[in-house]
Amino acid sequence: MARFHPLKVTDVKRETRDAVVVTLAPRDEDRALFDFTQGQYLTFRRDFDGEELRRSYSICAGKDEGMLRVGIKRVDGGAFSTWVNETLAPGDEIEAMPPMGKFFTPIEPGADKQYLGFAAGSGITPVLSIIKTVLAREPRAQFTLVYANRQISTIMFREELEDLKNLYLGRFSVIHVLEQEGQEIDLFTGRIDEAKMAALFQHWLDAEAVDTAFICGPEPMMLAVAASLRAHGLGEGQIKFELFASSQPGRAKARPVSAQAGAAGEGVAATVTLDGATRSFQMPREGETILEAALANSMDAPYSCKAGVCSTCRCKVLEGEVEMAVNHALEDYEVRAGYVLSCQARPISDRVVVTYDE
Amino acid sequence: MSDTMNIEDYLAQGGVLTAPGNVPARYRGELLRLMSSFVDSELAASAGFADAINLAPGIRERIAASRITLEKADHAERVLRVMAEFGTDAGRYQTSHDWAARVERGADLGAARRPGDMRLSVFHYPIAGWTDAVVMNVLQGLATGVQMTELTRVSYAPLAEVFREIAPREARHAELGREGLEQIAQTEAGREEARAAIAYWRPRVAAGFGVTHSARHDTLARFGLRHSPNEALLARWQALVSEHLAALGL
Ligand SMILES: Cc1cc2nc3c(=O)[nH]c(=O)nc-3n(C[C@H](O)[C@H](O)[C@H](O)COP(=O)(O)OP(=O)(O)OC[C@H]3O[C@@H](n4cnc5c(N)ncnc54)[C@H](O)[C@@H]3O)c2cc1C
Ligand code: FES
Repeated sequence: MARFHPLKVTDVKRETRDAVVVTLAPRDEDRALFDFTQGQYLTFRRDFDGEELRRSYSICAGKDEGMLRVGIKRVDGGAFSTWVNETLAPGDEIEAMPPMGKFFTPIEPGADKQYLGFAAGSGITPVLSIIKTVLAREPRAQFTLVYANRQISTIMFREELEDLKNLYLGRFSVIHVLEQEGQEIDLFTGRIDEAKMAALFQHWLDAEAVDTAFICGPEPMMLAVAASLRAHGLGEGQIKFELFASSQPGRAKARPVSAQAGAAGEGVAATVTLDGATRSFQMPREGETILEAALANSMDAPYSCKAGVCSTCRCKVLEGEVEMAVNHALEDYEVRAGYVLSCQARPISDRVVVTYDE
Repeated sequence: MSDTMNIEDYLAQGGVLTAPGNVPARYRGELLRLMSSFVDSELAASAGFADAINLAPGIRERIAASRITLEKADHAERVLRVMAEFGTDAGRYQTSHDWAARVERGADLGAARRPGDMRLSVFHYPIAGWTDAVVMNVLQGLATGVQMTELTRVSYAPLAEVFREIAPREARHAELGREGLEQIAQTEAGREEARAAIAYWRPRVAAGFGVTHSARHDTLARFGLRHSPNEALLARWQALVSEHLAALGL
């Protein structure tokens, strides 16, 4: 199961008005665990008023920089990103899981590969890590970055990218696409959409020479770029994606719990939602799990091991109380947020309302 | 074009998810179901082939069966690693079932999975001898090849990538089977035995493609976890099988 380790904040640097770059150091004994691959991300956790939030942030450092570094953009009303931008300071400790993710290709020092990168806003972070690493470790590689932002002042790592251009003269180029500020060439104004991609391929990019393309940005951009790359002949294995969209629970209110336990022997009124459809039925108080009851009422609820090990059957309790026989898969913070393994859960209140959709 | 969009719409339009953190709840359930079915099937297949090693008539065949036993277990482990990122207790998972357990040879399970684990029903049947093992491997290997065209483009990128690594090695397993069958089909007695095994395994492998017009398929298709319907995959496999067997005079 996922393990968290403390990281020491050694530096917090303001990068733009609403983004900071945070440098982190693991304890000596955790150093090997945090030996990342370019393009991977860290998952942090922190308690906000007794409620644990987890958020992932891509590492923006290159392999040869010898440190962990993340760039965090403040999201309006966002709990974690606002806290980092406004409160986090050098000397603080923050807990993180070891690096995860597959947004990279293996380094081949001898190969002369051509890379394309597409990033929007904070989506630059993993791409920057990849750029730095491949340019340093694959001396014949070339990288072209297409980087979309609202305006010049919101561009993260603008100077660093300029420095890289100078350091790797002729091997690294950047095409800035700005939404709000007209540039000398028309092409560079607006958003990265289908039309922009077509124009880029017509004038600037040579699809046939490309070995791998990396895309990190909002959903519509990912779709537009991927569709265009496929249309220009790139195969699935040549296109790497990283999506920042979060389906993690936000700062949910504590769920209402009806504490009165029912008398043994009576039935339980159960309400189950799956794929937007809700069914209510009676289930016995003893001898049947929520999963079995849902299946018995011909709902196609997901499950696999039925042994509390895999977590395929996870659902969320919205009302009422249930008890799990065993739980080898859900962590405490998920349980506190109301999640249960339905293959292990039996109701202990008169009424339970659960959903597989949240 | 707005900055973000609803994740369901994104998936329906062919979007790709990349981390447990961006996976919605229902998608998570179906993704884990898909992965555990693969892991269970590979572990059961590996367990089945472990027995076939001692049925092998010669050293080459013994090596082929050993390799299949080893690599199928390795493939299970790779996918289990992706499951673990969602919380699955990988250590307990691999010991939670008896992967070598089989039903009676004459039992008829249809397409239903048995309580216990999520392996494809075909992996519940026992192997009866070397020719039987080879035939089963050829037919199921071709089925895996067809399924891989789906699995290598599932919308969860870290899993699609694992499948893209696995696919060529699975294809090699099927090829080892075909080489074995070629040997067997050189004598009339061998062909006779092979035909009996084909009659036994063909409907049982076919059942692994699931029911036609499956309701779950629509959900999976919206999530980008499936692309072609069961009946299309089944038809492709039937055609491949006929072609391969005809080439061997079977
Ligand atoms: C693999 C991965 C890597 C990531 N890497 C980075 C990174 O390097 N840098 C970075 O800044 N972020 C990154 N993110 C996004 C980050 O994890 C958080 O989702 C983001 O910081 C918002 O969290 P929050 O707690 O501040 O906001 P929340 O409290 O969760 O959300 C507040 C509001 O903002 C909306 N919202 C949430 N996330 C976004 C978003 N990304 N864009 C627009 N609106 C949003 C929510 O719907 C909600 O209405 C990454 C995400 C993933 C999954
Ligand atoms: S089905 Fe595996 S934990 Fe419930």
